Amino acid sequence: MAGPLALGLVLGLASLSYIMRATGALLPNLPDAVTARTGGLAPALLAALVAIQLTGPNGVIHLDVKVPAVLVAAVLAAFRAPFIVCVIAGALVAAFLRAIFHL
Amino acid sequence: MKDPSPAPGAGQGGVQTTMSGPVRRHLSYLMAGMRAPWSMRQILVAAAPIAIAVFVFGASFGVLAVAARLPAWSVVLMSMLVFAGSAQFAAIGVIAAGGSVLTAIFAGALLNLRFVATGIAVARSLPGGRLRRSLLAQLSIDESFAMSVRAGEPGRPDGKTLLVTGALLYIVWILGTLIGALLGPVLGDPKRLGLDAAFPAGFVALLWPMLSGHHAVRCAIGGAAVALVLAPFTPPGIPLAGAAVVGLWLAR
Repeated sequence: MAGPLALGLVLGLASLSYIMRATGALLPNLPDAVTARTGGLAPALLAALVAIQLTGPNGVIHLDVKVPAVLVAAVLAAFRAPFIVCVIAGALVAAFLRAIFHL
Repeated sequence: MKDPSPAPGAGQGGVQTTMSGPVRRHLSYLMAGMRAPWSMRQILVAAAPIAIAVFVFGASFGVLAVAARLPAWSVVLMSMLVFAGSAQFAAIGVIAAGGSVLTAIFAGALLNLRFVATGIAVARSLPGGRLRRSLLAQLSIDESFAMSVRAGEPGRPDGKTLLVTGALLYIVWILGTLIGALLGPVLGDPKRLGLDAAFPAGFVALLWPMLSGHHAVRCAIGGAAVALVLAPFTPPGIPLAGAAVVGLWLAR
């Protein structure tokens, strides 16, 4: 990625994150209805990100080593493994399957 | 304690009338099932294992971001300015999958929306006027917020714990990212190491603890379904935007 584009990514994400963290101090009273609804955003977005990561270039689900990697990560997460353990286990499963089966 | 309180639950009033101020305050914490405010040492001891985990997470973020072809300097700058693992992870995941910068910012920012809620929770525990509090609130991430809630009283997170833990984790997060960004190119082909699978694995790991209550499950299923329906015939970004709308819609 070119430098200016990467800088745009960093500054764009940083300024939005700054605003979100500052909101509480700047406007102490957001209506409960607003904060309650935003609770649905993260699960919907994360599930969508998982789904999109499992699609191929044509946008259709593509069965490869990422599927077992995600399943292993999900099982570990269900047993309350720390985030980083799930990530590394997922990567190891994918690397292992690729090395063995030349996928 | 030599206080001759005869039965549990019977002594609170008596203690409060006989003890001196600080002792009484300390006892009232104990009696309410709470700890006294944490000392600096207690905070650092509790934060140390978290700091190690954050360092490892920072290093893996650095490796992944460099593998997604971001310049190393921008990866470290992102950790300095954004300081939010899941949001940075999501943004890089979008870039690694070929998405645009705007989509990446959108995905990352949506994951940070929870900081509006945590910001509201910590705002009254922080010192100073609005401007100073809004700056100090930048040190809140999931881990420092959780620690401040543990150290604080119900409904009032402990400001000192938030700031000390947040500052420690901030330094460790940047150092980890730097190490990872420098180490990344040495490691070789990201696919051979399974780094492409690290993103969906990480997203599942972030998602799982959120799936308490049927509203969250409904939002997750709805979001994934809409994204999969839109993905074959819309540009990257639209499926995520659709999932966000569904999340807001199904949230209650």
